[in-house]
Amino acid sequence: MKISYFETGRYVPPPDLPREWPVASGACDPDTVSIALRGMADRVKFVEELGFDWVSLSEHHYSPRILTPSPAVSGAWLAGRVDKIKIALLGPIVPTSNPIRVAEEFAMLEALAPGRIVAGLLRGTTNEYLSYDLNPDEARARTDEGMELILKAWTEPQAFGWQGRYFQYRTVSIWPRRRNPLSPTYILGTSAEAGAFAARHRLGLGVSYGNFESMAQATGYYRQQCAQYGWTPGPDDIIYRANMILGATDDAADDMLRRRDTQAPFPLGDGLRDALLKADNSRNIAGEKRPANVGGALPISFCGGPNRIIEQIRRCREVIGAGVLDISLTDPGTGNLDAMMDSLALFGRTVLPRIRDI
Amino acid sequence: MIQNAAFREGFVEADGFRIRYMEAGKGPPLVHLHGAGGMRLSRGHDLLSEHHRVIAFEMPGFGGSPENTGSATMQGLAETMAAAVQALGIGQFNLLGTSFGGKVALWLAALHPDRVLALVLEAPAAIRAPGSQPPSGTPEEMARRLYAHPERMGPIPDVDPAVRARTQALVSRLRGADRDGALEARMRDLAVPVLVLFGTLDHVIPPAMGRFYKELIPNCHLVFVYDAGHAIAAERPEAFSEVTADFLSRREAFVISRTETLIFP
Repeated sequence: MKISYFETGRYVPPPDLPREWPVASGACDPDTVSIALRGMADRVKFVEELGFDWVSLSEHHYSPRILTPSPAVSGAWLAGRVDKIKIALLGPIVPTSNPIRVAEEFAMLEALAPGRIVAGLLRGTTNEYLSYDLNPDEARARTDEGMELILKAWTEPQAFGWQGRYFQYRTVSIWPRRRNPLSPTYILGTSAEAGAFAARHRLGLGVSYGNFESMAQATGYYRQQCAQYGWTPGPDDIIYRANMILGATDDAADDMLRRRDTQAPFPLGDGLRDALLKADNSRNIAGEKRPANVGGALPISFCGGPNRIIEQIRRCREVIGAGVLDISLTDPGTGNLDAMMDSLALFGRTVLPRIRDI
Repeated sequence: MIQNAAFREGFVEADGFRIRYMEAGKGPPLVHLHGAGGMRLSRGHDLLSEHHRVIAFEMPGFGGSPENTGSATMQGLAETMAAAVQALGIGQFNLLGTSFGGKVALWLAALHPDRVLALVLEAPAAIRAPGSQPPSGTPEEMARRLYAHPERMGPIPDVDPAVRARTQALVSRLRGADRDGALEARMRDLAVPVLVLFGTLDHVIPPAMGRFYKELIPNCHLVFVYDAGHAIAAERPEAFSEVTADFLSRREAFVISRTETLIFP
């Protein structure tokens, strides 16, 4: 099992910070932001020394909960400061991005950190569409086309034009070029569309936050689709991103779980949340309809002392088939940085050495 | 809207053949040479006829025309079609070739460079993956080869088996090797601006073949039409006609965007 640390740009919010998304930009403290973002390098060096295989980054906007609106900028900062750990951008939100820009940024990062960049492409959760004014009805189709265009920009050796539905370019010919155009690349999502896309292009799949059984539905569908396209994905082709509470003992972890704030940091107002839920009814796991996620609290998938966590990781591997586990050891946006560093150290000391053979 | 309602049928004599064509629109002449399945007008033709005088030929030996034993080579068929255009009183013209017709069109442009103003190749079959075969079989089987999304398209009309056999024999005789050294040598000398279109889901000619045209033809633009199969004009007519008409109108300058993005003045 490979282990990835999900770095979220840990901003420690003052108690009087407004709590509703979008958080007023004027409330952002420049010094605190610099500490949070520059600190990414220190935290990643720390997990690199612990033996983590990857650090993962994501794209979120308009609140300090996950303070990385540009995964490429985050990745570039880390690429210049750590030497061994792989940097996984999981990833740019494709339907709100310029796909050519995304293709170029990955290629540039890979030139800066050869062999250490992992690419992830995703549709994003429904609340993300508020940031750049994306119509939820167009998100799926823009994602599919944008991902096709990114792959074409990476693989086509000649200059080309693109006559799409949502994107039109007369000339595309990216420099720099990716050393190995499609590897390692993951499509991120639990939908049937994501699984089928990944299978058709022989790419990996990343799933997140659902319980083992529902994530197994998504990865099972992906494996079926891969079989139809004549190939079998290995464990390294499946990433599972999840929250973990690790204590010195099971009781300590259970106590942390009980004390956990079940309110999502910086939630949407109720009216907006309900309108968004109504606006996006396309969400599914392996084709089975599910309500949209509009920024609610994310579940804890792993909880316990080291022994119990190891058993849960073993079960995760058996049920989901994931060979890469991408974890947060405290909820993003809670600001409890010391607790997270302690948990990371505990994980590195007591869990990591014992899961390599899983 | 009735598709192709504006197209009128005509016939012209050339090289001993009586050649059928369909014509619509006003503007610069645009000659179309069809694929191995014969002339099949699509909404793409309608849209092109809004800005061009579109003349879609049914090449000798296809459709209802008598068996063509006179065309010995692709060059010969290209000469016949050049003569047919001349017989309509058209000296210089834009040329659109689809699949098999793309190879005829390339030969025509190579043999008559002074007459072809610009060349558009829709999923051309002049360079093919080893062992590739033109679509054949039942209408359903044909649809699965020709379209990315056959479920979204109307049925392909069934063809009289005698006509199909005659056409397939002609195509087999003329299509030549998957790589045609003589034609490729001529492609290197083409001065005419060329636009090559491939659907990203072409199940007949892999879209990756497009890069060979870029390598060979000095003034060549390659454009992928997203989510289209082999029959681009039928499957994504708006996308097909927009890029084709823009290229024919502005040639190389079509890479300069004229799309307006102003939301409110």
